[in-house]
Amino acid sequence: MAAIAANIYNQIYFFATEVDYSNIINMGSLVGLNLGVSLAAGLLYAMLTKFFTKGAIIFNFVYSVGSFACVIIPIAKTLPLSQPYPELFPGLTVPMVFFPVIAWMTIDPLFKKD
Amino acid sequence: MKKQIYLLASLALILASAFTFIQSQNWKIDESYTVKFDGGDPSGEFRGLKGTIQFDEKNLAASKFDVTIDVATINTGNGMKNTHAKGANWFDAEKYPSIAFVSSSIAKSAAGFEAKGTLEMHGVKKEITLPFTFSNNVFAANFEVNRMDFKLDDGRHPKMMPSLKVSINVPVTK
Repeated sequence: MAAIAANIYNQIYFFATEVDYSNIINMGSLVGLNLGVSLAAGLLYAMLTKFFTKGAIIFNFVYSVGSFACVIIPIAKTLPLSQPYPELFPGLTVPMVFFPVIAWMTIDPLFKKD
Repeated sequence: MKKQIYLLASLALILASAFTFIQSQNWKIDESYTVKFDGGDPSGEFRGLKGTIQFDEKNLAASKFDVTIDVATINTGNGMKNTHAKGANWFDAEKYPSIAFVSSSIAKSAAGFEAKGTLEMHGVKKEITLPFTFSNNVFAANFEVNRMDFKLDDGRHPKMMPSLKVSINVPVTK
């Protein structure tokens, strides 16, 4: 879900700014990154819920704070000098950092038993 | 009559030669030029190279560089660093919009050529010697600039190298 959202946002951003960042991020890398982050999050969730009674709450807190901290990665990233408009890159990638955690929070209640 | 014509023609030739001055070859800067700098972190490049390049290997006395670079074109590959570099704490692009080099003399050296002249950056003028080579219609220069000489220091980056390695590659056409 995060990968789909990221790809849609990537297309919207390209149409809005007409700046092509496809040599840095593209459909493949967005799917791979989002799948990787979501799988890692799933493993962390499994571990935390196994070892702590309030593991789910701890996980949500860690995932949210971790996502927020990761904002610095796209902001600090140095792009190839051939890439025009590096100042627009954070506008594309910073929101994407939150897509996995938003997707998690959206889907997670569906798996909860009352 | 013929003698007089030849005499007049010779006189005209001598007079004309008195007003002839040796001019060096004028070169046009090709758009594929690069002006790169390496300060560890950040590193990057400038665009906006303009000016006149008069250069003739056989007539160095008449050769001259008078070029500028647009400071606002600095690109480190990171938008935040670009803004920071153009800001008042570093290059202050608004107050000092260009970096200029004007040569005063060009001489042959062991490795190629050396251009002595004034480098003006960040409002500071300094005499420098710029070593360069010229082959296949490409000027190439590698040298170091001490940023402290040009008051390029905000005092908050002690780990940043005081010297910037500058690498210039300028293809030219006639």
